[in-house]
Amino acid sequence: MSRPLAVGVVGAGGIAHPHADAWHALGAQITIYSADAAAPALAERYGGTAVYSMAELIASCEVVDVCTPTFVHDEIVLAAAAAGKHVVCEKPLARTHRQAVEMIEACENAGRQLYPGQVVRFFPEYAAAKRAVDSGRIGQPAILRFSRRGAAPLQPWFSDVGASGGILLDQMIHDLDYARWVAGDVERVYAQITGGDGKPTTAYVVLTHESGALSHVTGGWGHPNTVFRTTFSLAGSTGLIEHDSIRNPPLAWDLADSGSAGGTLLPSMDFAESPFLTELREFAAAFSGGPAPRVSAADGLAALDIGLAALESARTGRAVSPKEIAR
Amino acid sequence: MSEPLKIGLLSFAHVHAAGYAMQLQGRDDVTLLTADPDHADSAPGELRGRPLADELGVSYVDTYDELFEWGPDAVVVVSENSRHRQLVERAAAAGAHVLCEKPLATTVPDGEAMIAACAAANVNLMTAYPVRFHPAFRALRDRVRAGELGTVLSASGTNNGIIPIAARRWFADPVLAGGGSLMDHTVHLADLLDDLLEARAVSVYAQSNRIVHEEVDVETGGLVVVHYADGTVATIDCSWSRPATYPTWGGLTLNIEGANGSVSFDAFGQAASGYDDTAGKAISLSYGPDLDALMVAEFLASIREGRVPSPDGEGGLRTLQIVAAGYESARTGQPVPVAS
Repeated sequence: MSRPLAVGVVGAGGIAHPHADAWHALGAQITIYSADAAAPALAERYGGTAVYSMAELIASCEVVDVCTPTFVHDEIVLAAAAAGKHVVCEKPLARTHRQAVEMIEACENAGRQLYPGQVVRFFPEYAAAKRAVDSGRIGQPAILRFSRRGAAPLQPWFSDVGASGGILLDQMIHDLDYARWVAGDVERVYAQITGGDGKPTTAYVVLTHESGALSHVTGGWGHPNTVFRTTFSLAGSTGLIEHDSIRNPPLAWDLADSGSAGGTLLPSMDFAESPFLTELREFAAAFSGGPAPRVSAADGLAALDIGLAALESARTGRAVSPKEIAR
Repeated sequence: MSEPLKIGLLSFAHVHAAGYAMQLQGRDDVTLLTADPDHADSAPGELRGRPLADELGVSYVDTYDELFEWGPDAVVVVSENSRHRQLVERAAAAGAHVLCEKPLATTVPDGEAMIAACAAANVNLMTAYPVRFHPAFRALRDRVRAGELGTVLSASGTNNGIIPIAARRWFADPVLAGGGSLMDHTVHLADLLDDLLEARAVSVYAQSNRIVHEEVDVETGGLVVVHYADGTVATIDCSWSRPATYPTWGGLTLNIEGANGSVSFDAFGQAASGYDDTAGKAISLSYGPDLDALMVAEFLASIREGRVPSPDGEGGLRTLQIVAAGYESARTGQPVPVAS
């Protein structure tokens, strides 16, 4: 960047850390506002400045980066758009379809860009698989399988479906978005959630893509020591690509006193560029007039609609079209 | 030792037939006779009939009439799926116990008729589900039933393979096979869950497609979600989604999630792997248990001990009912109840 990009990070919880770290690596000028008291510590750690109101944050930046809980995304994005700021917004883009549409329209009307933090598109293994599919390595995508498991998040708003959308909307939207990126739009969604209420949560989603491809998505929120693990298997008409995050580590230790290996919400990103850095660099380039990033606000909305269809399916026991959600 | 049991192997149509023939031929408590009179129906180049019997070194007669005149104590039915019923009914009429290849039949009424015929003749009807005999699955089942996982909440399984048409073309014949991957590959996992949960399936959601090998006339990909009466939700991936260069025919996995933990079963995971420049294909050296041997042993023991084999025909029918509901769901796009 020729001159530092001024970024205002809203929220100072778990996901704000890799964002602030990435903005710092990009040489951005960072201000941080959080409704709780966590902003100063984050600012100190990543070389930013804590501010104490949204007005102060908006006045300080060109880009607002929304790292708050889902249920307040819309009000922050609408305020940012009204002030003429570009916006990065963590996934899911919003809690409801209507909120997301209003956010997208507000940014469009303000002539500002909005990108959702569908960061899995930037994880190197997922990006490599997408490139391979696009170059025809597996032929036409046919049966796609994804799984994502980790410890259940501790902050209560995650398990409050009204606030976060629960596991389907908060966690599995990563794979719902990626499945759509690889195999195209989705016409039918069937979802089931098991466990919860103190027991491990496992959810299954079956997507029927308009292309005819089928996706099977597993999400897990487990016990506190659950080792974070993602897997994918992309079967096509002429080939198969598979990955398992715990079978492909660049380093594996076995120590007498290893403590707990689990309990994280995020995968290990050691020994590769942080996908958040890859993501935010691409967004920052677009804000400066560069090429369109690999994910758009419309993609974020489409992923949200699939997730909302999954929630509706889990509630009703019926298969649901994302188009029903968009109505 | 008592007299050897006279076992007739009816048809070489199924890809499992040769394995069963070798299994039976290798036992000293069995006398084996085989017949494959419908081999003329097979696709060009498929080794069937007397030439296959000669290659396997097993006794062979040209017609089922000759085989039944021999007076078999029991038969193994390894015909095309839709021809199971006629052979099972004939065996029952001849007073022969039956081990029938999976799926039990292609329609629920056929399955019910087969069970009724065997019951009326007072002969055993066993469905060929070898995977439930895997010692690792037995250990899983025993420990889950003993409560180690706490309440079972959900399960997800995969039974993915290379489409079997290179060896036997009829697997993609809608009439002879009764369908494609949904018919072929849903039932093994449905049987494991039947054994593990001891609960009835109450509803099924399924979707299928035909992208891998789009040239055939049946579905090659499928995802099935089964709801059980005890509240368990299970998903089954029945797709023929392994590419032709896959090192083996495919595999079967089952993951069980409980309140206190989870367990993963890989039925064919016991294999060493490698590379082979001459073959141009990866090496997979399976050293797992001989599941067919364990299954055949149960069938023979049930006859000698005069008891019902496990899995029986009813188990075969319950899993077939899940498949039938799956086809209806794939057609309508919504979950459907399982007939009971």
